[in-house]
Amino acid sequence: MKKIIAVAKWEYIEKVKTKAFIISLIITPIIIISFSILPSIFFNEEPPKVEIIGLIDTSGIYINDLENELSQYKLPDGQRNYVLIDLSFKYKNFEELKSTANENIQKNLIEGCLVLYNPGSDSVYAEYRSRSIGNFKNVGRFEEALSSIKLKKKLEQEGIDTKIIKYFQDKVVVEQLKVEKGDKVSDQDFLTTFFMSIIFILLLMMMVVYSGQMLVRSMIEEKSSRLIEMLISSSTPDELLTGKIIGLSLLGLTQIFIWSLIGISLVAGSLIPPSAFNNILPMLLYFILGFLFYSSLFVGIGSTVNTEQEAQQITTYLSLVLMLPVVIAMPSIQNPDLLVTKIFSYIPLTTPTVMLLRLNVESVSELEIILTLSILIISIFIVTKVSAKIFRIGILSYGSKPTIKEIIRWIKE
Amino acid sequence: MLTVNSLVKRFNSTLAVDNLSFTVKPGKIFGLIGPNGAGKTTTIRTILNIIKPTSGEILFNNNPITYEYYNIIGYLPEERGLYKRSRVIDVLVYFASLKNLNKSDALSHSDFWLKKLKILEYRDKKIEQLSKGNQQKVQLIAAILHNPQLLILDEPFTGFDPINQQEVKDLILSFLSEGKTIILSTHQMDLAEKLCEDILLINYGKTVCSGKLSDIKKNFGGNNIRLAFTGDNDFLNQFPEIIKYDHYHNFTDIQIKDEVIPSEFLKKLIEKIELNHFSIIEPTLNKIFIDLIKENSGTV
Repeated sequence: MKKIIAVAKWEYIEKVKTKAFIISLIITPIIIISFSILPSIFFNEEPPKVEIIGLIDTSGIYINDLENELSQYKLPDGQRNYVLIDLSFKYKNFEELKSTANENIQKNLIEGCLVLYNPGSDSVYAEYRSRSIGNFKNVGRFEEALSSIKLKKKLEQEGIDTKIIKYFQDKVVVEQLKVEKGDKVSDQDFLTTFFMSIIFILLLMMMVVYSGQMLVRSMIEEKSSRLIEMLISSSTPDELLTGKIIGLSLLGLTQIFIWSLIGISLVAGSLIPPSAFNNILPMLLYFILGFLFYSSLFVGIGSTVNTEQEAQQITTYLSLVLMLPVVIAMPSIQNPDLLVTKIFSYIPLTTPTVMLLRLNVESVSELEIILTLSILIISIFIVTKVSAKIFRIGILSYGSKPTIKEIIRWIKE
Repeated sequence: MLTVNSLVKRFNSTLAVDNLSFTVKPGKIFGLIGPNGAGKTTTIRTILNIIKPTSGEILFNNNPITYEYYNIIGYLPEERGLYKRSRVIDVLVYFASLKNLNKSDALSHSDFWLKKLKILEYRDKKIEQLSKGNQQKVQLIAAILHNPQLLILDEPFTGFDPINQQEVKDLILSFLSEGKTIILSTHQMDLAEKLCEDILLINYGKTVCSGKLSDIKKNFGGNNIRLAFTGDNDFLNQFPEIIKYDHYHNFTDIQIKDEVIPSEFLKKLIEKIELNHFSIIEPTLNKIFIDLIKENSGTV
């Protein structure tokens, strides 16, 4: 036990002092936070401007109503968001009108152009032409306006009271709220949820990759300098392995501690909504256990590696596995009951990150939390045992990289 | 006292150590010699309990070596290296702590040895700031810091200049006077010859010869003389007493038949040539090594 502490202390103190660690400690959260906050700043800060929209309506009956409908959208300075101009010149045919509109869009004279087909009839439909087809906000508003006009016209035709028409047009607004434990309700929007989950996953990933690399690098140093022989003529491989894992975990805890301080100060500075820390206890558990799991994995794999390049390869693969939740983040947020997400929650390699994500986007049942945590803890024990076996032989095998077959034989030994 | 009985270590299909038996007596240096790949390191690793032998037993003071012996064993591996970015004193204290030394003892022992090897000024420097020779001194200190009962040194002299070699030699000898058991594995035959009383020469994992160095020399071929003379060495061919000779720049080493008395042979020589030097020589360990390994490799 004394020797385990000695190894852990050495691994911790010698690594905490390194420049790489200190830099990762400060730089990582800065990078991640700027990456996650900047886009939302850009979204909100898009300079508002008056948009000129062309209209091709050969019947000429929509322009006034449409203008009326769209006038409800105002810019912060009180100006109207949309200005409609009629492009339906009488002396041109429909096709010519459309190509003129296209030209104007190309020349940036107008933002876009609404083309109405079968105007005045029940089967009216429209297309919106613009330089980009990504502007869901505009299209949504046009759709709403046109539908409302169509409905109003129909109702007027049928001789219905304008009051009722007005009533028809009044919409019920649906606000999205996320229900959480203890009857709490949070109103964080999609973007915040998304970025909060991603931040934790990225932090875990960065941490695992950084410290994993540090660990593997120091093991390569010990192997190539044959220091390892002095070490294992002083302590058992198990003591060495346990000490290394503990040292590395302490390193991780230091990072978590300092990052928490940063997180708290960000909340205090209200850069991050406090709701992001609602599930902080289980999240910390997943974080720490996930880190332990990967640390023990790294110790085993690291002992088979002889060069920096090989080490880099392995850390890259592992970090890709860790990144997996980012890929499934979108569908999971939209539909938390997705089977894939559930399955990944129970695979130890992805449990920590997927659960970090799920805790953020849905309320996970306590049973599931306990179950996944248990799986994680059990796998940490198994991985440590297997790693110890690989470690015992791996640290003494120099030269060529062992094959999978050889490693399996080591495990069986 | 360390006893190794019929040690066998097999890696898959290769037999690295094939039935080795030897005894290392305390207060004497035991030389483990052999060409590269002979099985020296594997033998050392099994003694150190780093790897388990396939069969055979290793006893230290009549008890099998277990992990508890770690704290009384000191080991200097052949290839050198330390934590480059760490401070000398930190590294030494770390290794001492792995040998169960408490911190204050570790510090005082470190300072003692750093002073003795004249590198105390580097105590708080990073390892990478030290010269290669001084780095090796630090590693040697790391191996002996805990005052081990059994000291295993694998090529302790490589990389040292003659002055430092002398210091290391003195250090090893000082351990000897305290009655410790020392195994020295080396290629440097001249040093092994000066330091070791018992040797074990191995090749292909097997014993080639073992025992007291003086006995080995006696058995190896007793009748050797060294000559220095003016003139051509062709005349040597006319003597039926000569088995073979090696001509060097300044002298010629000659092996004569066992029944020939060297002084009688000297008389014969004086009649033929002008002699500058004549001496009866023992075969060097170097020569024994080369001859035996050549012979051994030839038969395998």
